[in-house]
Amino acid sequence: MIIAERKPMKELLEMVSNVRRLLVVGCRGCVAVCSAGGDKEVSILSAALRLGVKKAGGEIEIDQDTLVRQCDPEYIDPLNDRASKYDAVLSMACGVGVNFVADRCPDVNVLPALNTTFYGANLSSGEWKEMCAGCGACVLHLTGGLCPVARCAKSLSNGPCGGSQGGKCEINPDVDCVWQKIYDRLSGMDRKEELRQIMPIRDWTTSGHGGPRRRIREDLLP
Amino acid sequence: MRAGSNLENVLRSGAFAVTGELGPPKSGDMEVVRKKARILKGHVDAVNITDCQTAIVRMSSLTAGLIALSEGVEPIMQMTCRDRNRIGMQADILGASALGIKNLLCLTGDHQKFGNHPQAKGVFDMDSIQLLQMVKGMRDDKRFQCGEEIKTGEPRLFLGCAANPFADPFEFRPVRLAKKADAGADFVQTQIIYNIEKFEKFMEMVRDLGVHERCFILAGVTPPKSLGMARYMKKFVPGLDVTDDVIQRLQDAKDQKEEGIDICVDIIRRVREIPGVAGIHVMAIEWEEAVPEIVKRAGLSERPAMQGGEPVLASASSIKEAVEKARKDGRIELEGELEKVKAEAHASRDLLAKEKQKVASEISGLKKQIEEARSMVSRKEAEIGRLTKELQKAKETVVEAGRRGSPVGETTQPALQVRSEGVTSGASCALSHREQQVLSSLNKGLVALKEVLGLSDAQFEAVRRFLEAEFMLQFSTSVRQTMEAPPEGGHLAEEIEPAAEVSAVVPAPEAETVEVEEKPQRPKEVVNLVAQGSVALHSKDYGKAVKAFKKALEIAPDDKKAQEGLEEARNALAKEKEAADKAVKPKEVQGLPPCPDEIDSEEWKRKWVIRFTAMGNVALMKGDYEAAKKEFQKALELDPACEKARAGLHRSENGQDIFVPDVMAEGAVPAPAEEDKEVEEKTQGPAVEKPDREKPAPALEAEEAPAEEVSRSESKVEISAPSGEGVIELDVAPLPKDEPPLEERARGIPEEIYKEPCSGVIQSVTIGDGDKAITVGGESALPFYAFEGEIPNLPRTAFEVLDSAPGEWPECLLRHYADVINDSAAWARKCVNEFGAQAICLSLDSTDPNGANVSSADAAQVARKVIEAVDVPIILWGCGNAEKDTETLREVTSLVENRNICIGPLTDANYRTLGATAMAFQYPVVAATPIDVNLAKQLNILLENLGVHLDHILMDPSIGAVGYGLEYTYSVMERIRLAALTQQDEKLSPPIICNLGREVWKAKETRLPTDAELGDQEKRGVLMEAITASTLLLAGGELAVMRHPKAINLTNVLVEGML
Repeated sequence: MIIAERKPMKELLEMVSNVRRLLVVGCRGCVAVCSAGGDKEVSILSAALRLGVKKAGGEIEIDQDTLVRQCDPEYIDPLNDRASKYDAVLSMACGVGVNFVADRCPDVNVLPALNTTFYGANLSSGEWKEMCAGCGACVLHLTGGLCPVARCAKSLSNGPCGGSQGGKCEINPDVDCVWQKIYDRLSGMDRKEELRQIMPIRDWTTSGHGGPRRRIREDLLP
Repeated sequence: MRAGSNLENVLRSGAFAVTGELGPPKSGDMEVVRKKARILKGHVDAVNITDCQTAIVRMSSLTAGLIALSEGVEPIMQMTCRDRNRIGMQADILGASALGIKNLLCLTGDHQKFGNHPQAKGVFDMDSIQLLQMVKGMRDDKRFQCGEEIKTGEPRLFLGCAANPFADPFEFRPVRLAKKADAGADFVQTQIIYNIEKFEKFMEMVRDLGVHERCFILAGVTPPKSLGMARYMKKFVPGLDVTDDVIQRLQDAKDQKEEGIDICVDIIRRVREIPGVAGIHVMAIEWEEAVPEIVKRAGLSERPAMQGGEPVLASASSIKEAVEKARKDGRIELEGELEKVKAEAHASRDLLAKEKQKVASEISGLKKQIEEARSMVSRKEAEIGRLTKELQKAKETVVEAGRRGSPVGETTQPALQVRSEGVTSGASCALSHREQQVLSSLNKGLVALKEVLGLSDAQFEAVRRFLEAEFMLQFSTSVRQTMEAPPEGGHLAEEIEPAAEVSAVVPAPEAETVEVEEKPQRPKEVVNLVAQGSVALHSKDYGKAVKAFKKALEIAPDDKKAQEGLEEARNALAKEKEAADKAVKPKEVQGLPPCPDEIDSEEWKRKWVIRFTAMGNVALMKGDYEAAKKEFQKALELDPACEKARAGLHRSENGQDIFVPDVMAEGAVPAPAEEDKEVEEKTQGPAVEKPDREKPAPALEAEEAPAEEVSRSESKVEISAPSGEGVIELDVAPLPKDEPPLEERARGIPEEIYKEPCSGVIQSVTIGDGDKAITVGGESALPFYAFEGEIPNLPRTAFEVLDSAPGEWPECLLRHYADVINDSAAWARKCVNEFGAQAICLSLDSTDPNGANVSSADAAQVARKVIEAVDVPIILWGCGNAEKDTETLREVTSLVENRNICIGPLTDANYRTLGATAMAFQYPVVAATPIDVNLAKQLNILLENLGVHLDHILMDPSIGAVGYGLEYTYSVMERIRLAALTQQDEKLSPPIICNLGREVWKAKETRLPTDAELGDQEKRGVLMEAITASTLLLAGGELAVMRHPKAINLTNVLVEGML
């Protein structure tokens, strides 16, 4: 799931300081699940903005809505028709949603309400952790399902660096050393011999360093 | 051989290798690298050049490596994956190889989070193992990482990697090292080893994997520079296992640095024993100086000769050498040129002299001709005179004839007139015409001469001018004197005559000629002398010129010509001297300027020795040691026995400044060595100022020190010690004064910043009579803040004397008064005579109705005796029972009315009666209140209302001993004092008396006997009393009533030391 978090109120208030009529649009996709941009958050943010603008001596009219997803055209395209009523649309989707609105709705002045942070999992209520970097060249079968690209501070490929101590990463004692975990896991599965293999230098083209990525499936094309 | 580096050679030869580490600077300063390299040179086989270690921006590893190489130190270039992707890294690898780098240590790199740019994007295109693979591929397969071929010049690098045996998971560490060896590592340097047991285990596993056979293993060591560093590494550096043993060793060490080196050497010795260890890697972080010592102590200082290092850059020393050589060559060449030119100048000068002589003889020939011409002229003049006469006669005849009627004469007359005019004018200019003819023929001759001799224009011009002048001169003065041979050029012609100067002096003789002609009345001798002077002047023999002019002036003191000439000659002489002085510098290599005639050469040499020495000293003063050295060397060349120059040379070589003596006149010479010594002592003077103050140990220290140290003091007071316990030394050495004074130390800081002057003043109260009277109070500043205001009177101490034998005094206090406890008067006398008491406080304890209840009359008798026994001020202190005290004190006052005693304590219960008594006798009183600012103030007001002046009151705010409420007392006193001084609360302005001895000596701590834990009982008691007293004086107390003589001495010394 894509994890996001709301931008600081100060930044948002600055963003809408010249906006008289605003539409706050949430998304019922990932950001709703990670409690960043669903129905509830849309209401909270709208109320907060009204108060904030008023407190600053401004005036604003805010309408709110939450779309099923902001990454599919059928949900987004109607925004085009509604745009004339608003000075701006504040999207509470991830960066994908904001981009998609901007791509498809030429008349809509779309603003981001969230910072999109990472691909992660929900560890417990209120805690999410990065698990995948979307590098496009998965090696998880070699590492016991634990990703060194996303979860090692230096994205090492061949085992823990000298800063691994007591299962923790040297950059922060709250961060686990993923290579320690990989070692433990493969040891448990009696596979630690596999770690003697040198993982060759990576091809980063798939991870965005080869330019914006795109995927096409011929069989599904209209 | 993979790369043929020195490190590879050493390792392959089987020798135990030593590598070092060099951290490039956080600047572009090449010298830093050079300096560090020079420290390590010869002590290690190769040096790691770190690549922005801990992610802090520094000079790049490649660059610093090349600089190190230029100094003859083989670099191991480190390369991390943090800052460059594969494109940048391969590019740098090619460049490094091209410039002679032969070792590459492949690292992943510290995370940027640890550095000074944590916001940077970490690259980590690959990890260290993949980097090894990539470089190995470039070297062995001649392929870039992408697979493309490297057609020529593949990088030849000896590849290294790092290993941390102390990181987790431990069992995986040898495996990871094996991976690195597989990937291409030729050698490995481990993380810093302190935990040898763990490293041994690691090595065992490494050997099991056979890694040591594929890869040279260098054990990493670091000398801990200090305990702090070791603790820091233990706590904060991830993957560094500093053992408790190391910490302990540093903790116990006297010299931590020494111990650090020893620890490191011990580790080296031990790891060397471990099979598979091929060398050590010494990481002396910012402590490169330690490496040679470590290597030496570890018995590894014999390093194999370096092979394989070919620096691309020149080392600093080689650059310096080249420059020196070029400079030297240039100088030699220039000197050669100079010699040549000089020789030429000499030759032409000789030629010139010859020419002059020749010309002179010609001139004398010409002179004769002129003479002849002159006589001819005079003959002609005579003839003309005769003809004129004849003409006159003829005229007369004609006139006469005319008169006779003939008109013919009229036509002839004008004709004759015209003619005669023509003749006269012709006669007057015939001479100059003749002269000109002579001159022009002379000129022509000279031109011919010039051509024949090949003289330069300037030379020719000089000759011509000279002759011209000579000619004019000779001619105008009737050419009587035999012309002296033109002066030998000699030393004066050293410099080639500037033509301009010659032409400048030329007009003078012409003018002179005219003048001489106009003033024929000048004595001939004078004229001749002046002429001689002028000639000498023109031939630049200024000395001679001066002499001639002087002589002329002797004869004719007013002769203007001679005066002018003398002045000119003198100026010229001075100028020449100046020029000679100036010429000293460029000529310094050629020796001395020529010795003037009037000085003999030895004298001249001596003068120059003095001069060089003086100049050397001047340079020394300026701190220009090089120049000074040169000067002294020159002086020594002339006179190798010159002590002064030698001393100067020594100083200049050691970089010592010269001390400037009071007078450093020119030629006055540097201070001789003995004088210097004296001077040095003098300069050290201020540091050991007032040795008599510093010598004795400070008071409290002395107290803590064993008695024997203090017993050095001279005026020792003998005390009969009844028991066998250690005798306590009562005397206390004075404290050193606070020097320099605050004003001096705070110079440059505005006063208002550190001064907070008070607006109020404390009352001054006087007790006692005559010259023994003491006055306390009167200050307008906080206690001891003498810099903020006036503190006219020192705080004082009083000895407490009891009116009866004390019942509860501990033995260690009592024994000082053992012989007098039953006689208060004797006691008081002892205090004054033996202990130097400033005041006595007689405590009338025995009058206490709850105790012995001695009658007031008896007590008064005792008090009278005491008062009569001593002449110091007396404080009478009642038992504390208001009623009884009133009675007793009244009784006493009736007995001793004429002494200015102080009575107390007055409380709110008895202030009326006692206050009235005191007022009647003008006694000062002690106003006692129980530790409260308001009560103290109230009692003062009541007393004042009664008529007792504030300057007759001493406040007793009730005090507690240290450990027994001292802080409470302190804060109350402080508040009283602040109210008086800063809020001008006059009612709180009387001085404060602190009856503290009784408080201290009833405290438990002064009564417990000597034991191991609490220490000596007496010392303990004395310290408690002295500390209580000094604390209370700091809070504002002016008069402290105390018991133990030593404590009193300590307090007095402290007071005197602080004010």
